[in-house]
Amino acid sequence: MRLIWFASQIALFGLIASRMINVQEVPDYFRYYVAGLSVMTLYSAAIFIGFDIYEEAEHGVFEYLLSLPVSRRQLVLGRSIGGGLRAFIYVGPMIGISLYVIGAVNPLGFLVALFALFLFSFGVSGMSITIAVIIKSSDRFDILMGVLDALIVRLSTAMYPLAFVQAANPVYGGVASLNPVTFAADLFRWGTDIITLDNPLLPLLGVIIFFSVFTFVGIVIYDKRIEGGGWQ
Amino acid sequence: MKGVVYLLEHDFRNFFRYKWWLVGLISMNLADLFIMAIVYNRMLDPKLENQIQGYFKFFAPGLAVTGLFASAFMIGREINMERRREVHHYMLSLPMTRLELAIGRVLSGGLRGMLYMSPLLLTCFISLGFPNVWQFFLILAVLFLLAVGISGLSIAIAVSTSSLEKFITARGLVYYTLFFCSSVFYPLSLIQQLGRDGKFPMVLVTLAEVNPLSTASDMIRSFLIGPPFEFSFMSLVSVLIFSAIFTLGAAFAYMKIIERT
Repeated sequence: MRLIWFASQIALFGLIASRMINVQEVPDYFRYYVAGLSVMTLYSAAIFIGFDIYEEAEHGVFEYLLSLPVSRRQLVLGRSIGGGLRAFIYVGPMIGISLYVIGAVNPLGFLVALFALFLFSFGVSGMSITIAVIIKSSDRFDILMGVLDALIVRLSTAMYPLAFVQAANPVYGGVASLNPVTFAADLFRWGTDIITLDNPLLPLLGVIIFFSVFTFVGIVIYDKRIEGGGWQ
Repeated sequence: MKGVVYLLEHDFRNFFRYKWWLVGLISMNLADLFIMAIVYNRMLDPKLENQIQGYFKFFAPGLAVTGLFASAFMIGREINMERRREVHHYMLSLPMTRLELAIGRVLSGGLRGMLYMSPLLLTCFISLGFPNVWQFFLILAVLFLLAVGISGLSIAIAVSTSSLEKFITARGLVYYTLFFCSSVFYPLSLIQQLGRDGKFPMVLVTLAEVNPLSTASDMIRSFLIGPPFEFSFMSLVSVLIFSAIFTLGAAFAYMKIIERT
């Protein structure tokens, strides 16, 4: 389903919408959009780890995991990295398609962008786990993730440049400039030579902070909330 | 007819079981309008902007149709699940005719779509202005026909696919082809131009032209925005044909296929 969505977004929406957009800042909207689409897909794939946690709680796998001879912290870190890696592998072929559509890339820049995408994926995974264990209700989690997905993707540069988001509404621009999806999308586009960045270290730092917060703070929260049941 | 009313009640109860999920979905739709459309407004080609009077105005009717499509399609997932879990044996045992059962399911799918779409349509009216009474009833009638047709289409897919994976794949193909090969997100003229330039398959251009989602979106635009969007009775006929084919086709498929398994 996701592959069909991805392919139709490129071949239908991306192609036609690129005819609709005509601004100096984005000379080739098609390539711009395809790169953003890869980050959007990575985000929604990494979020899925939270849904797995509810399924495990429902089937009693949680108790089994708690009985394993590993510390709680190892368990959480493993889940977070595993979730991110799984998402990355899952989205890998789609990123491959994007790279084919986008064309040649600068190898060094691309490696930095790929590294940032890895961190972004682990960070999203950690965020999903953190929210799942705080909420402990699959219905509420489902809704919150839906709303968050709508806002976090649209209030980012995944589909449009920051200047236009800011021009549309300064509040939108403020959120977009601090959004991890913006950091990941900008770095991926920079690594694939679609845009230039004055200082690529800033979005890279943003992704590292996002990853650190949700992985390490997530571990502490997970550690505190993991036991005691209360799953709905 | 009593059987149909019971089925409507049953399907609406199911629909409201996911009320918070629906709230999430509506907020996503509204985010599309109040964030994405507003930003796209600033990036539009000036020639196109003059033609469609801004992306926000253009997209608002399309969004109502998108919401209608997505929610009317939900009945297919439930029917596919009933088939896989063999709940359909229970449905067949109910004291009502097969025709009542089939029509009831198609109708409830359509009505659920109308209910979900109403806040989006209201947002569209508030943003673009209200149509006159006749236009309003015509919009409702066309959207109802469309919703019933979509519900029929999703039921036909649901009963023809035996596994969830096959259903999801078929749904994805139909969903995104009809969504993106329509004038919901962009003007039809743009798709036609791409077709003339040889950059878009003519089959898909034709699909976009006859797509009932295009017809419904452009009809609302013709009433709320005006030229270049024009209302034509032929578009009404095309929605009517779509609705008749899929309502009858789905009712027939539902009656025949669920008895077989």
